[in-house]
Amino acid sequence: MEIDALVKELKAFKGVSNVSKIRNSVIKITMEKGESKEFFTEVRDNFGFEHCSLISAIDNQPDFELVYHFSTIMGSVTVEGTDMSVMLEVHIFLERDTPTIDSISDLWGGANWHEREAFDLMGIYFIGHPDLRRVLLPEGFAGHPLRKDYVYEIHEEEW
Amino acid sequence: MAEMWISMGPQHPMTHGLWTLKVKVDGETIVDADPELGYLHRSVEKMGERRKYFMNTTLTDRLCYASSTTWTHCYVLSVEELMNVEVPERAKYIRTIMLELQRLASHLMWAGAYMPDLGHITGALYFWRDRELFLNLLEVPSGSRLLYNYIRIGGVKRDIPDGFQEKTERVLKLFEQRLEEYADLFENSTIFRMRTEDVGKFTSTQAQNLGITGPNLRGCGTEFDLRKQDSYEIYEELNWNIQTREAGPGYSDCFSRYMVRIDEMHESIRIIRSCFKKMPKGPTLASSIPIRATGEAFRRTEDPRGEALMYVVGDGSDRPYRWKIKSPMFTTISACPHYLKGYKLADIPAIMGSIDICIGETDK
Repeated sequence: MEIDALVKELKAFKGVSNVSKIRNSVIKITMEKGESKEFFTEVRDNFGFEHCSLISAIDNQPDFELVYHFSTIMGSVTVEGTDMSVMLEVHIFLERDTPTIDSISDLWGGANWHEREAFDLMGIYFIGHPDLRRVLLPEGFAGHPLRKDYVYEIHEEEW
Repeated sequence: MAEMWISMGPQHPMTHGLWTLKVKVDGETIVDADPELGYLHRSVEKMGERRKYFMNTTLTDRLCYASSTTWTHCYVLSVEELMNVEVPERAKYIRTIMLELQRLASHLMWAGAYMPDLGHITGALYFWRDRELFLNLLEVPSGSRLLYNYIRIGGVKRDIPDGFQEKTERVLKLFEQRLEEYADLFENSTIFRMRTEDVGKFTSTQAQNLGITGPNLRGCGTEFDLRKQDSYEIYEELNWNIQTREAGPGYSDCFSRYMVRIDEMHESIRIIRSCFKKMPKGPTLASSIPIRATGEAFRRTEDPRGEALMYVVGDGSDRPYRWKIKSPMFTTISACPHYLKGYKLADIPAIMGSIDICIGETDK
């Protein structure tokens, strides 16, 4: 499938807005939280995004933003006829009071630990995750240090 | 026999860094596994938010001691994308040479560490002797042997000195002979093949879903190399091929993953040679480099261990608002229960060694 055709198809999905293209091979979209699971299932099964590259959580104060990066590996999407690894960047905004979203680790096995990391450092809760524990910080650690309102015990000097 | 959990690590010869692998065994057979990280967590992402953009190259250098240039390069590339910095042509060539030298050094580091895992201590000495040659080469332009801090936002720190090409050519020639020797020593050795063949198998489909990239995926016969498929620097203009191997139709074992890295070393030599041939003259650092940035950008590169991705968000100040590192080994380790199950306890060093673990980047 040609990338421009894919952009057109993505626009038709429920909950998708702000579709744009970066550097020829990256499609950037904004997605609504409620529709995300159906959309991701579709993306994996019908458009060939086999690989979940990264899930990043951003504290935008007050809201949270999740950024998903998916990429194709086997060349199911082409750019002007050439086989490239096309990426899909999905932005989802979460309210601060309810930082929850459906887990996608049943769709992509590789998303499992990315979700655990987002939970660990940013405090995003992934509903349906098989094993939502801290991954980098020790068990029993209080708080989520990558949140902007996290207070350090020791005040560091500004560099 | 009753099943039980055995904890391997954080101080265990198998681990290559500080991490724990808990394995559930039934007799000698692995039933389940649970990797645990966090022993080396330094909160690099948080530290990066407090430092200016150009200061962070110090942190990225320390992400992985075996391939520090590639990590700095990935960071610099995404910041350049964010700031719209145009890199001079000559700097791109120098970067490519440095990246490939680093890839050779990193693969040699891995090969040297893999041999003692298999009980072949002499192999470590052979490979690390050769790694020394490449560290010496990397030292020539950058001035240091492990953490180079050579790639800067907008180009490289300084031009390569006179005679670097001849020096590199001498090393490459010697190393090519050595690789031939090693083919006899390892690839054709029955003992080596007995330990690695048909061990730690996973299919390409599995690997893609589990987020395994890099040489581990190319060992399944899948042609996926970001230097070609999401090209950066000047890889597009050079003449080289993606190296793949497979143990059988669409799956890899420890031996095919070993062979892919050996093939990649041959290919890296080719890339370095053609870089020197085509390298233009000119400046090596962009004339104006902004210190503030707004917006968001990401770039991904082919690290020696797989897909490295850095996502940087700027809020108009001189420090990144959010900086996210994707480490290829993070997902590869997370998938280890899938490729450990069913093998014997004694196979763990062979399997975990073959995926080339670096805990520095994994724990961030």
